[in-house]
Amino acid sequence: MKEPFKNILVYLDGSEESIVASMAAITLALRLDAHLTAMYVVNTKALQELVKARIFLEFEEQEYRRDIEGDARRYLDHVEKMAIQKGVSCTLEKRSGTVQTEVRQYVQDHDVDILVLGGLSQIHSRRDELMNEADRIMRSATCPVLVVRDNDDIWDTFESLPNVPVGGESDDT
Amino acid sequence: MTLKDVLDRDLIKIPLESTTKHDVLEELIDVLVQHKQVNNREELLSAIIARETLGSTGLVDGIAIPHAKTKAINSIKLVLGITKQPIDFDAQDGKGSQFFFLVLAPEKEASAYVEVLASIARATHSAAMRRLLAAARNADDVFDLFFD
Repeated sequence: MKEPFKNILVYLDGSEESIVASMAAITLALRLDAHLTAMYVVNTKALQELVKARIFLEFEEQEYRRDIEGDARRYLDHVEKMAIQKGVSCTLEKRSGTVQTEVRQYVQDHDVDILVLGGLSQIHSRRDELMNEADRIMRSATCPVLVVRDNDDIWDTFESLPNVPVGGESDDT
Repeated sequence: MTLKDVLDRDLIKIPLESTTKHDVLEELIDVLVQHKQVNNREELLSAIIARETLGSTGLVDGIAIPHAKTKAINSIKLVLGITKQPIDFDAQDGKGSQFFFLVLAPEKEASAYVEVLASIARATHSAAMRRLLAAARNADDVFDLFFD
């Protein structure tokens, strides 16, 4: 494990929990003077499974792929805006494929020091096929993982950080 | 998000009483209405039937996953119903369908919706799981299958 963490990756899936995880990751990046990358993976593996099983017709696959691509852009932009607001440098990464594979590959290729996740399932099942993507990422990650629980402390901490006006110093003087 | 994040014990009905495709769809929607999960029955039924007219969601091995996205709801809803005997649902393998997973999603939860559908497909791929579902006598039995 490398310390201090200088290269932080937060995984976004559009859930509220992943947005809270992003707030925690921004806070961490600010405290550690670290670089933050926000990543969204368009789950084309799941889309392909649905077409293969003929649950989705071709038009549905295309429609949902477009919808998810749009979600990815929207959520990444949202995190970037939050990071800029707090004066944290943030890289956006949008990928397509199998979620856990794409995240693991990025961690390895970019020497990520810590991965921040929200949205782990609170409900336990021994069935692997019912694990959600965040669970799978956590199990397969090759770096330390910070699991963020959705709680008011994170919101309070994030909101207490001074906002940085675009192109200027902190307005908390 | 997966099946287990949206499966609700109250939204499991065993046995379904209907014996035709249309009646099964109505009965599944009615489970939502009865448990006050939705209040726009006709709109939801129309969305599901409209999707069925494009191609049956009756798959293979007795599994059917009728689904639609609609503005009429705010969160993903899953109703699971099992008939005593397989019924004609225009399934891909030409056989009867017995296990029905009705999934409705709001327009803005595309990613979660896809993952829920994919998790249902994965969970029901196992012959052992289908046998256990067929043997389930009530909602508790089904719930335990997924959460034990």
